[in-house]
Amino acid sequence: MTTKRKATKKSKAQRPRSARAAMSVATSENQVVKERVAAMAEVPLLVCESDKDLQKVLEVLRNQDEPIEVRLAALQSLQAASFSVIAFESCRGDYIATLRKVATDPNAEMRQRVLGILAREKDGFAIKKLLDGLKNPDKALVPPEKALQLLSYDIHAEAYPVARAIINKPPNEDAKREALRLLAADAKSAPVFEKLLRDKNETAEIRQVSAAALQALKPDSLQENARAILLDDSDYDEIRATSLTAVTQFGDEESVSKDETLKKHVSRMSTKGGAKVKRGARQFMSKYGK
Amino acid sequence: MDPNPTISSLSEAEFASLVSTIAADPARRNELTELLHEDHSIYDERGAATAVRMRGWLLHTLSQVGVSDEALVFILEELDTGTDPYLVAAAARAVRSYSKPSSALAPFVMRAISNIRYRDEPVSFDEYGEYVDDSSGTSPVRELLATLAWLGSNARVVLPDLESIKAQPHGLSKKRLVDLERTLEAIRGAGEETESCCELPRGLKDKFSWGLKSRRSCDPIESTVFEDQNNEAVTFGEFFCGQPSIAVFFYTRCDNPLKCSLTVTKLARIQNLLSERGLANQINTAAITYDPEFDMPERIRGYGQNRGVRLDSRNRMLRAQNGIESIRRHFKLGVNFIESLVNRHRVEVYILDAKGQIASVFERIHWNEQEVVDRAIEVLNETQQDASEAPEKPVASRKTSSPIFGALASVALAFFPKCPICWAAYLSFFGIAGLDRIPYSPWLQPMLATAMLINLASVWLRARATGRMIAFYLVSAGALIIIASKLGNGWEGLAIWGVGLTLAGSVLSALGRRKRSVDAHA
Amino acid sequence: MKVELQINNSANARARFVSWAPSPCRIRVTDPTGASGPVVVVNLSRTSAASGGDVVFRKGTTGLFANTLALKVPINGTSVPFFVAGKFGQPSSNNSDVRIDAKVAASLVGAVKVMVRIRKNANSLTAGERDRLVAAFAKLNNQGAGRFADFRDMHTAVSSPQAHGAPGFLPWHRAYLLDLERELQNIDPSVALPYWRFDQPSPNIFTLDYFGVSDPIGTVQFSPTNPLQFWKTDGVPGINRRPFFSTAVAPPGLLTQAQTLALGAAYAQFRGMEGNPHGSAHVSFGGFISSIPTAARDPLFFLLHCNVDRLWAKWQRQFARFDFTVAASYDSGANPIGHNLPDTMWPWNGITGPPRPPTAPGGTMAASPCVSAPGPQPRVRDPLDYQGSVNAVSRMGFDYDDVPFA
Repeated sequence: MTTKRKATKKSKAQRPRSARAAMSVATSENQVVKERVAAMAEVPLLVCESDKDLQKVLEVLRNQDEPIEVRLAALQSLQAASFSVIAFESCRGDYIATLRKVATDPNAEMRQRVLGILAREKDGFAIKKLLDGLKNPDKALVPPEKALQLLSYDIHAEAYPVARAIINKPPNEDAKREALRLLAADAKSAPVFEKLLRDKNETAEIRQVSAAALQALKPDSLQENARAILLDDSDYDEIRATSLTAVTQFGDEESVSKDETLKKHVSRMSTKGGAKVKRGARQFMSKYGK
Repeated sequence: MDPNPTISSLSEAEFASLVSTIAADPARRNELTELLHEDHSIYDERGAATAVRMRGWLLHTLSQVGVSDEALVFILEELDTGTDPYLVAAAARAVRSYSKPSSALAPFVMRAISNIRYRDEPVSFDEYGEYVDDSSGTSPVRELLATLAWLGSNARVVLPDLESIKAQPHGLSKKRLVDLERTLEAIRGAGEETESCCELPRGLKDKFSWGLKSRRSCDPIESTVFEDQNNEAVTFGEFFCGQPSIAVFFYTRCDNPLKCSLTVTKLARIQNLLSERGLANQINTAAITYDPEFDMPERIRGYGQNRGVRLDSRNRMLRAQNGIESIRRHFKLGVNFIESLVNRHRVEVYILDAKGQIASVFERIHWNEQEVVDRAIEVLNETQQDASEAPEKPVASRKTSSPIFGALASVALAFFPKCPICWAAYLSFFGIAGLDRIPYSPWLQPMLATAMLINLASVWLRARATGRMIAFYLVSAGALIIIASKLGNGWEGLAIWGVGLTLAGSVLSALGRRKRSVDAHA
Repeated sequence: MKVELQINNSANARARFVSWAPSPCRIRVTDPTGASGPVVVVNLSRTSAASGGDVVFRKGTTGLFANTLALKVPINGTSVPFFVAGKFGQPSSNNSDVRIDAKVAASLVGAVKVMVRIRKNANSLTAGERDRLVAAFAKLNNQGAGRFADFRDMHTAVSSPQAHGAPGFLPWHRAYLLDLERELQNIDPSVALPYWRFDQPSPNIFTLDYFGVSDPIGTVQFSPTNPLQFWKTDGVPGINRRPFFSTAVAPPGLLTQAQTLALGAAYAQFRGMEGNPHGSAHVSFGGFISSIPTAARDPLFFLLHCNVDRLWAKWQRQFARFDFTVAASYDSGANPIGHNLPDTMWPWNGITGPPRPPTAPGGTMAASPCVSAPGPQPRVRDPLDYQGSVNAVSRMGFDYDDVPFA
């Protein structure tokens, strides 16, 4: 009897409360924030089933008087529900409308998350806001590096000119990096990446992004440059390790196998140099032998 | 393309103002349709989202001023392959301004509902470029349902689809369900269908064909160098001349699965259809990228293979090594760019003959693989027929002998002798031929007159075909003068003028060429 | 004397992979030299490498498994069937780290190396397993030009109704993962898709050498020796993923494993997990993985869904829900196309045009040298019996480290 009672108690504790009960907690201003946030996580499917519940959660999201944690939890709950596409069909119109409303919210985290959701949907409203913010910093809703990152969701956005301008005059390193990532979709930018990859004055991160971009735009050029970097013992470990990875993973196997100069050099690197270089060199040698 | 160099630099506000100005002037409304062409300079260097706003506003404006047959194809295209809510909503509205509701429109509207229902969102047409942040207004699904209601009995063909949507446990929102109910009532309660099913309105052009003689030469691009999926270089002439080809355009970064991805997938199906008919070695296939700078060989190879395209010497994925411009101009491609990236393009499939000339194009609206193959086979057969036909009278002589004969009849009539003595005198010239023994035959005169009139009719028909009526006018004048010379005393001298005019008109008629059978690609 | 051992009834070396579900095998004498009668008794045993996997044997389709097995094998070359299964709790770490020995008396007459290839907790992989996994992913992606593009294209806004918001959610994703895993195994057969146990801390996953470390704006950083630094999707390099939690702990708000399994004994109740924990796990980040149109751009997506699938597998084991003819095993009713048990599943069925998506990327389901199921065009019902519990032929060749066969 005792065992059975314990088992029942355990299974009750394990079984989540009903979504209806959770909704009641989530949307009640009388509950503590932590409880409301936890309850919001349990209601995704309910918002798809009941327009009344959907509107309640949307109202929490819109309401700037609600605690930001609860509002963000409401956003996550709706986002989770949106994965159930067929069930979410009836909710989507109201959801998108509310997201647009909240895109200019006073809270920076809210703006960032909402613009991210809209940008992934390639929403014209979000793209316009992000571009306007880059062209006119007074209108910016998110930092420039974030705006560039979000604009990369739609390569058809007219972000290339502003990305190039930012590369020439970056407000910060992150913005420069994101501008480069965005330009990795622009075939005409290959020369920029070639230059940055070989520039030892650039940060490792910028050179790594350049390598990745070049691998996509002009793979032969990356392999050539990677080889040159590997043969240059004065270059930095980080970029040499990246070059090793590029050659090992994506190099033309026939030509690398025949490149005795490179193989000898890499063999030496497997015993000298920093940890990353040694590791990369060992990966190379395990594929291309001694 | 519009020659105005400043139009591509208009701001969006200026563009909206331009559209209003054009719409306000009934004499200029055709320009609105012109602005829908993707390659119009108005879209040069515009982002895709900007192009969406611009095109959506154009479609919305058309919905207010009325949609012509020429504009309808753009609207149906948006319903057929559109995935942007704003554009689809605008297109749905625009259909309701078309003057001829037809059951052929209903499947397009229904297809748009299938395409867009899970991306339904609020849109507004109150102001240019407006994005709404409340859902009280309209949406693409709402507009599409309204259009089906407007079609009324003409939408009966899609009733089962609508009822199926209604029956789904989840599905449309409450508001849209109300709209759906209204639509169902409108369709069921409407009278008889006004037109027969499934025929697109006349004047709608999504397929174009050119006769053998009226095709543009491929000389301008014959030496254009392509690189195929295996890095092999081949010129346009080397690949496309020698046998017919089916060519589609695409780019790997197209984010509309109803366009490039589907087009290339259908190309694979075309290859299968050709193989089934034993024609795989007689008709080439090619997919040419709009984006040669980014779409390198490995990328286009993967794209094709992932869609089932067979790749070999007769079936290739191609990129133009030195850029797309010459190809773009020659094919008059429906595409535009922001820098090197496509911002908007239409679906387009070309059939080239054995000389690499464009024989047919299927564009905008979903093309049927079997239809494309059938047309390619026609082109193949014309090639084979040309090659196998026995030599015969030169075309020129065939075409010219008829009017010359008629002219001779007119001449003969003009100088027909009035009496047996003159008859004998004329025929004595032909003594060697023995014609002088032919007795006077007055009955020949009406026969010659009849021959002259037949010639006149023939010249008239030919003039209509060539578009040159001057030949007919000349021959008519000559005939009238010859007849007058026969009727009046003292007017015999006019006969010479009549003969001269007749001969001149007949020669002109013989040398005239048929005008081209189409239109928008001229 | 020599014998030949065939694992999964195949001489193909690529078929030498087993899981917890028994694999049909056979043995035959290929060289009877030294045999004293028409039949020899061959003793099967196994030798494991250090930290290697282990296997057990069984003569027929029922009965207990044992560490050894004695078989009477005719010397005329006739094959004798038997079964091998991975020993539950002892998966392999490397390819061929278990050797099956065949002895006649004390003489070794045949041997074959196998791998007990199991889907494990991604947080617990060895460095070698991790490196092979990321290398295989990077190769499949091939800087955006590889076959991964098909898997990305299978999971978009346009195709999402085929797989979400209706009962087919779980079978579809099981088939999707299997297809991807088989493609990874074509690159490196030792790779099995691991799962991200999202209701527990998994700090090892979010490291530079593995699935990367996110910077403050959500751009994922990789070690210079990690080939995922060249990851590219939709023409853009890199991965955007911003955790809304510390990756040293589990994301908050997700149903625990126990809570998920307690959702109900009927599939109609259990599939509510699509909201939480599945949806909630997706949105515990910003970035690719948090929206349907972009989720499959992040390779972490597949580890997330591997855990979703594992939870389903655990629920099936708990309630014996492998048989699709049992009503509680599935939620049959007025379901959309692609969500009914007899329906074939897009894209493997190649069917396009409404109500299916316009194209069908990827072609048919990848084949396996080890098993024949689920076939090139699986139906919704096929993934339910993934272990072959109801029908041995339905076995799909994968298992989870904490879900036994029986």
